[in-house]
Amino acid sequence: MTNSIGEIRNADFLFVIGSNTSEAHPIIAMEMKRAVRRGGTMVVADPRKIWMTTIAEKHLQLNPGSDVWLLNSIAHVICEEGLADEAFIRDNTEGFEQVRETVARYSPEEAEVHTGIPAEDIRWVARKYATTPKAGIYYTLGITEHSHGTDNVYALANLVLMTGHLGKPSAGMNPLRGQNNVQGANDAGATPVFLPGYQRVDDPEAHAKYEKSWGVEFPSEPGLNLNVMMKEVGKSIKGLFVMGEDIVLSEPNCMELEKGLNNSEFMIVQDAFMNETARFADVIFPASVFAEKEGVFTNSERRVQRVRKAVEPPGQAREDWRILIDLANACGAGWTFESAAAVYDEMVKDADKFSGISHARLDAMVSLPKTGLQWPCPTPDHPGTTFLHEEGVLRGKGLFTAVEYRPPAEVPDEDYGLYLSTGRTLYHYNSATQTRRESGLDEKQSEAWIEIHPRDARRRDIKNHDKVRVSTRRGSVEVRALISRQVQPGCIWMPLHFGEARANVVTNDAGDPVTDTAEYKVCAAEVHRIEEGTAPDGLYPGTFYGLDAPV
Amino acid sequence: MIERTEHDVQARAAIKSIDIDGHSVAFSAGETILEAAQRAGVEIPTLCHDPRLEPAGACRTCLVEVEGQNRMVPACKTPAADGAKILTETERVDRHRKTLLALYLTDHPRDREVAERGAPNELLDMADRYGAPRNWGTMESKRDARDTDRNPYIHFNADTCIACARCTRYCEEVEGVSAITLAGRGAETTIATADSLSLLDTTCEMCGGCVDVCPTGAMGEKMPLTRSAKPERELKKVRSTCNFCGVGCQLDLNVDEEAEGGNGRVVKVTSPPPGTTTNDGNLCVKGRFAYDFIHHEERITSPLVRNENGDLVETSWDNALRVAADGLRGVAERHGANALGFVSSSRCTVEENYLVQKLSRAVFKTNNVHQCAAT
Ligand code: SF4
Ligand code: SF4
Ligand code: FES
Repeated sequence: MTNSIGEIRNADFLFVIGSNTSEAHPIIAMEMKRAVRRGGTMVVADPRKIWMTTIAEKHLQLNPGSDVWLLNSIAHVICEEGLADEAFIRDNTEGFEQVRETVARYSPEEAEVHTGIPAEDIRWVARKYATTPKAGIYYTLGITEHSHGTDNVYALANLVLMTGHLGKPSAGMNPLRGQNNVQGANDAGATPVFLPGYQRVDDPEAHAKYEKSWGVEFPSEPGLNLNVMMKEVGKSIKGLFVMGEDIVLSEPNCMELEKGLNNSEFMIVQDAFMNETARFADVIFPASVFAEKEGVFTNSERRVQRVRKAVEPPGQAREDWRILIDLANACGAGWTFESAAAVYDEMVKDADKFSGISHARLDAMVSLPKTGLQWPCPTPDHPGTTFLHEEGVLRGKGLFTAVEYRPPAEVPDEDYGLYLSTGRTLYHYNSATQTRRESGLDEKQSEAWIEIHPRDARRRDIKNHDKVRVSTRRGSVEVRALISRQVQPGCIWMPLHFGEARANVVTNDAGDPVTDTAEYKVCAAEVHRIEEGTAPDGLYPGTFYGLDAPV
Repeated sequence: MIERTEHDVQARAAIKSIDIDGHSVAFSAGETILEAAQRAGVEIPTLCHDPRLEPAGACRTCLVEVEGQNRMVPACKTPAADGAKILTETERVDRHRKTLLALYLTDHPRDREVAERGAPNELLDMADRYGAPRNWGTMESKRDARDTDRNPYIHFNADTCIACARCTRYCEEVEGVSAITLAGRGAETTIATADSLSLLDTTCEMCGGCVDVCPTGAMGEKMPLTRSAKPERELKKVRSTCNFCGVGCQLDLNVDEEAEGGNGRVVKVTSPPPGTTTNDGNLCVKGRFAYDFIHHEERITSPLVRNENGDLVETSWDNALRVAADGLRGVAERHGANALGFVSSSRCTVEENYLVQKLSRAVFKTNNVHQCAAT
């Protein structure tokens, strides 16, 4: 995020795209609701009706995968009507001309054909966004989980740069992170390209620094990213160490992965619970949950905050950091860390962005504006950084990147006539290893379902609550059908949390060419009725889900 | 108190000052007497006030005197005025507080055991602090309690409700769903749902905000109650960061240290006071109520290795670590370091992620390390 969470409530214009905020980030949603109560204007772009659309000034219900058309046409209007911030562009950015030329070909009228959004609405949003100083963009996986996810992000960044909505409170570009510590895991260098603090592993200087610090030699060529690694399992990857993730449940196209795991030689799983992946493991380490360990998480706004040990792990389970040290030492590494704080100290020693932060400093802070520290925070007396890009654009000039529309990797056809999207719900969390063990949450949403529009349901002779089979080119799952006008005609939607109806059996693993993030958000699917159903116990997805459903 | 960022605080109008019990307090436009007093460290009792909500002026506990004015004013709702003299400790204010609190107690359980079914009761604390008489007779509370609500998390104890409407206002103003409302009149005023539905069947999102804001614990948590957990004041609070989404809400794990054979048990989660953390005292259903997984019986409690028959069997840590080290080294020897892959986790701490990448790079010499960031 370029802004902080506390700034959201003061935003005057909020453009929410590809983010089911009230379910995936309820607390961010509360801040947005507050902004709207205060008089702010919200626009939601989402193929599906979501709760946030009920308080939005406009809901741009775009066709799945047509984001680039929408965003480029907004840019088109901004350029055409002279709403771009020419001074900001001249002083702070590069590459605008290329974008201007590209978006000239994306008129709102033509965008209307591709996105299904009235041209007038596109113009209205463009004007409102460009002319409101405190205008922020908020997005999540609905933007990135596409084969053209990177294009979507560039198209958004272009809007931010051409309007100069950057480096000011409540204006900026804010990806909302899905998991508690995505930011922190990347900060810590758990990526094939970056060492801690976003220092490239193939940067000779950074690489040499770490070889010296660690007293070992290691390769400087970047490694495989997750999507590629998973495809290589059983091929070039023969041994895996997996900590705290259920890769079989969460990777797209898991059938292939299971085959790969059967062909690999050795796997360690370190987790607090048995899961689908652990079935393939040769060794399982009993690990801990957050309430049992010391450490830090870094949130979406780059705020480093403490995790504290409240209870002891059960039985012989150990804190993950201790297990990692034990494993390294069993391999002869000779690591001597005695606490999580000591590990943190080593990490920040060679990563300037964090070097002013320590457990001790965090523990000395109790309340806002001092709960946690937002990096960059290079020295012990540095107050942390509330919004990025404060002094002009970080790393020199902001770079425009022209992007062209590319259709999703898979579109509906005769055999698979519907768009399938997957998503999250308020009551569960990812593979739900934790939330499905909560009797209360399970009572609210005890089984998987799909949402299907009444028109599509009628054509397939599907009634509310019927059992149906959802199939794609990769596989099929059986779920309950909820008839709902939340989805548009031609689209179905399914939550991804449920093990017995694994959404990723059917989703497409076609990756984005840059990030290799898989296309979870759109693929072609068909639905067939299996048997009649009655309203089940324990499926209260919320009054909102059955929206307008015929009784 | 809607603004929070420094920028906005600075942007407020020019500083003026007000006199509270002889302290001169600077305030800025829009601030109330209560806010100025709190900053000066002057204590004014409040029940219906919450900084996240529009002032309601409903409970009247915060009345103070303004010099030159006949009527007392609610500090929570009255804007501070330049040069005004506020008196919060006069005999008249004191008499008002005693009377009001004594009246509240006539239809409220006075015994802590009964009144504090789980959460602390601010009304009783206040009655103690201001010496309110407790013998003004007893009225039958006639509030409807919706006892049949089968929702798993929230119960409503009509006996301790004081109809301050913090819960309903929170539900409307902060959570934005208006699942609960004030209903009925006078002594029968109660907290209701549309058609007395279970919260499960309403727009309620189970955020638990109503529980958090209730000053008397009338909106309470079901699980600790049905499990006869110790009262909140006997629990140890450990401040931590929520482990679900990327917002990083601060929360307090309430631990019964003696439970689980001395390992300790998280019996409930509460939120830090508003204004002190990024989440401003708010939590969602997962942060506030999803803590049973911590002590779930399906936790793995012993290292496991696969035996000759292909079954996973319990083993010692030493053996598990040896098998693990041999296994990884074996793959590296047979196929080279890049035949290994390390999958780290964005669910784990920064320190743990650092250690996984160091293990991968420094010990096994491969950059094949990543986490499931995208999911
Ligand atoms: S839990 Fe939240 S949504 Fe439900 S009634 Fe209480 S405040 Fe309203
Ligand atoms: S339940 Fe609690 S918060 Fe709600 S009106 Fe009654 S006393 Fe006030
Ligand atoms: S706190 Fe002021 S009237 Fe209730």
